[in-house]
Amino acid sequence: MNNENIIGDRVKKWLIVGPPLFFLLIFFVVPSLIMFVTSLRLPGEFGGLAPLVAPVGEVGGGYGLTLEAYKFLLSNTLYAEVFLKSFGVAAVTTLICLMLAYPLALLISRSRKRFQNLMVLLVVLPFASNFLIRIYAWMIILGPESAVSHLINTILGVLGIAPVTLLFSPFAVLVGMVYVHLPFMILPLYTNLEKHDSVLLDAAQDLGASSWQRFWKITWPMSLPGALAGSALVFIPVLGMFAIPEMLGGTGDILIGNLIKDQFLGSRDWPFGSTLSIMLTLAVLAIAGLTAWITRRMGGMKYAE
Amino acid sequence: MVANSCYLIMFKVMLIFLTLFLASCTDQGGKLGSTIREENILYLFNWNNYIAPKTVKRFEQSCNCKLSQNYYSDNEEMLAKLAAGAAGYDLIVPTGNAMDSLIRQGVLKPLNKSLLSNFKNIHSAHLNTKFDPGNIYSVPYAYTLTLLGFNQEKIHDLGLPVNTWAIIFEPKYLKKIKGRVTVLDSQRELMAAALKYLGYSVNDTNEEHWNQAKEMIIRAKPYWAAFSNTSYIRELASGNLWVAHGYSNDMYQAELDAQRSGREFTINYSTPNEGGVLSLDSMVLHQSGARADLAHQFINFMLDGENSAELTNLIGSGNPNINALKFIEPNIVNNKAIFPDENLFARLEMLQDFDQNQRRLLNRIWTEVKLR
Amino acid sequence: MQNSNFRLWIMAILVYAFLYIPLIIVVVYSFNDSKLNTEWVGFTLYWYEVLFNNKEMLTAAGNSLIIAFSASFLATILGTMAGLAIHRYKLKVLPVIVFAPVAMPEILLGVSLLLFFLQILNLTLGMVSIIIAHTTFCIGFVAIIVRSRLQGMDWSILEAARDLGASPMQCFRLITLPLIMPAVIAGALMSFTLSIDDFVITFFTKGVGEPILPVQIYTMIKVAVTPEVNAISTLLMLLTLVMIIIATRLDSSMLRNGGVNGR
Repeated sequence: MNNENIIGDRVKKWLIVGPPLFFLLIFFVVPSLIMFVTSLRLPGEFGGLAPLVAPVGEVGGGYGLTLEAYKFLLSNTLYAEVFLKSFGVAAVTTLICLMLAYPLALLISRSRKRFQNLMVLLVVLPFASNFLIRIYAWMIILGPESAVSHLINTILGVLGIAPVTLLFSPFAVLVGMVYVHLPFMILPLYTNLEKHDSVLLDAAQDLGASSWQRFWKITWPMSLPGALAGSALVFIPVLGMFAIPEMLGGTGDILIGNLIKDQFLGSRDWPFGSTLSIMLTLAVLAIAGLTAWITRRMGGMKYAE
Repeated sequence: MVANSCYLIMFKVMLIFLTLFLASCTDQGGKLGSTIREENILYLFNWNNYIAPKTVKRFEQSCNCKLSQNYYSDNEEMLAKLAAGAAGYDLIVPTGNAMDSLIRQGVLKPLNKSLLSNFKNIHSAHLNTKFDPGNIYSVPYAYTLTLLGFNQEKIHDLGLPVNTWAIIFEPKYLKKIKGRVTVLDSQRELMAAALKYLGYSVNDTNEEHWNQAKEMIIRAKPYWAAFSNTSYIRELASGNLWVAHGYSNDMYQAELDAQRSGREFTINYSTPNEGGVLSLDSMVLHQSGARADLAHQFINFMLDGENSAELTNLIGSGNPNINALKFIEPNIVNNKAIFPDENLFARLEMLQDFDQNQRRLLNRIWTEVKLR
Repeated sequence: MQNSNFRLWIMAILVYAFLYIPLIIVVVYSFNDSKLNTEWVGFTLYWYEVLFNNKEMLTAAGNSLIIAFSASFLATILGTMAGLAIHRYKLKVLPVIVFAPVAMPEILLGVSLLLFFLQILNLTLGMVSIIIAHTTFCIGFVAIIVRSRLQGMDWSILEAARDLGASPMQCFRLITLPLIMPAVIAGALMSFTLSIDDFVITFFTKGVGEPILPVQIYTMIKVAVTPEVNAISTLLMLLTLVMIIIATRLDSSMLRNGGVNGR
């Protein structure tokens, strides 16, 4: 009877593990591998890819696998610059998100339980709107004819500074990035802060610590896992964004995502586009790994996922 | 509560099957790669705004069919989409270099000239291009020139020359119009203008020359207001812009807009002496199309002088059809910038498609231009 | 304590304002009697009229709904399975490939699927390709929600049932399933919302044929912006708002745990 149970258990296990496993193997793992292989191929004459194997009877180069796309990538510092720029934008966005999210997350965590769910819902709701709409909203607000622009330029005019265009600038890109990713920072922070025991803070207060000291020495260190998780959740997507720079940015504000999109939907250079994608993947893995490593080292509150 | 949840699930499942069923009934096409067509639809893949609505109506009546249109706003986009597997188009209207690529890929159907009684209407100067000698695959549709448009009065007051590309490349002129000039947001077009100004061919692939052009562009870039493909029309007409690198039909539109708004200036446009790009768009049959018969009907319809003239009158594009000339408004027909004379024609070049290595290199140069 | 709370309140309100004002502007201007989004002229439903007469937009909306239903259906089933499996068994591979698509930049998913569909399957890009693509990234989301629900549950009731002689199948059907049902439905609703709103992945895997809503909006914004965009935005916001509210009603813990690693 034990044997039957074991086999039955096995079957059961594969019944629920199997389908999602196979689906994702086919539609996630394999495509990722394909992307890697594509980065090693030659571009086709008319776009797309050159065949892997020379057709029968033909000789000469132009087929097979090659590291050419990678060599091209490294042959000029241009692409490294774009990567660095993307990292910079991601870092700044993460920082700003952290500064804006923290007070809100703190407040929610200290509110009465009844209100907490509502407040969290209020944070999530704007995020329920379509991503493009959120960008479009900023196109309106920062447009040259808008009230905000007029206001700022009037102030600048009073100070004797030439008028600035808010839209189609790095500033607009940053605003857009922060706006779209803010909820990703708020939620993990809140989840973490909510678990803090106020007993510690009360004790510290009894011992004479000021509110700033209480924050810096107790709250902040304990919230680090949450802050880290939130930072990873902001940093990684920002790295790959292209819609925000495209719609809110000027001509020079291109990031990695824009370059990748260009290769596929513009110059038809699939191998090079794949190469850029692989580099982006490596960057993402590095960040994710770094975050996981730091979290593990900190111990403390184990943060789920 | 268990019962409720179960019902909810069942309801959802039914809803899904219902929608899937309805979807397959109406058949949006594209499911599992099959393309089931209804009767008598002609699928046209064309530029934005490149056919007059009344022409479409008249064609639909004459052929007793429906014209279904999909659009693109530049050749690269169209080629990229076709390379990514877009299928089912009967007719496409690519520009020369894109057509070059399509022909060499072997994805076009040859034309049946016996169905095209109006073919003789096309001016011989536009036939037998390098891409399609003998016009096996293509019939010219319309053409535009890439040139400079400018605020006549303003530029005259500033004493700047308008017959050379120098006005958008040389700092000595640019500093007088800083922030008032735009260039096309197109790799090929901007490179072409730069190469022409430097005295090279627009299809020059010499890396040295490209770097020269790149340096010149980067040097001029700080003076440009923006890279723009469409907004320059509005800005020229409203007086915000004084010089724009753009297409002849767009300039025609800008001038019309300026007049209609009662502006005190006129928009003038002409090809610089160094020469420029001629974009000839032709109608071709894609092999994945199902209705070659309707496609030929459409082509012959558009080859009729009057139908062809409608587009020209609407947007100010050049027209390769001899019969159409008498139907076109005089101010357009006589406009040398839209209908170049022989002299100017000799200085124009058509863009040719680059191979993959050249494209990759050009893309990098373009990235650098954008970044610096 | 009071003072710092006060300061916190001020900053919190500012942040809430920052989050909501742009959206409110979009909604308000959808009723604006002017082509430009710059100043308020008068109230009108004109743009909604234009919207409903826009054949392409309606087809796009229809297509998006079909895709959203299909993808959320598939993703819910597969994601629930994955959530159960990850909770129950010590797995090495499944958790990684389930959660990775959720954390990765969407452009990578879009590009790799594009290459996969074209090279290996030789599939013409269309509705099916989009449905598969959306399912792939929604599975992880459902799995996270279901799993965190499972983690938060008291399993002693299951033990009690086993002791009383219930078979594993009975346990699952009569105890586990009903208890996780709110999470499953919440996951389904979230998948639906994600699918309807998705832009990047759809952009790459959609091909040329059918119009899809977010890409349609994108084209509208790039080519000629009119308040029609505001109108469709408002309607979409309404739809997803309803979905999210229902979802959180069903499973309030989902917001904190489920919302964390996904969108």
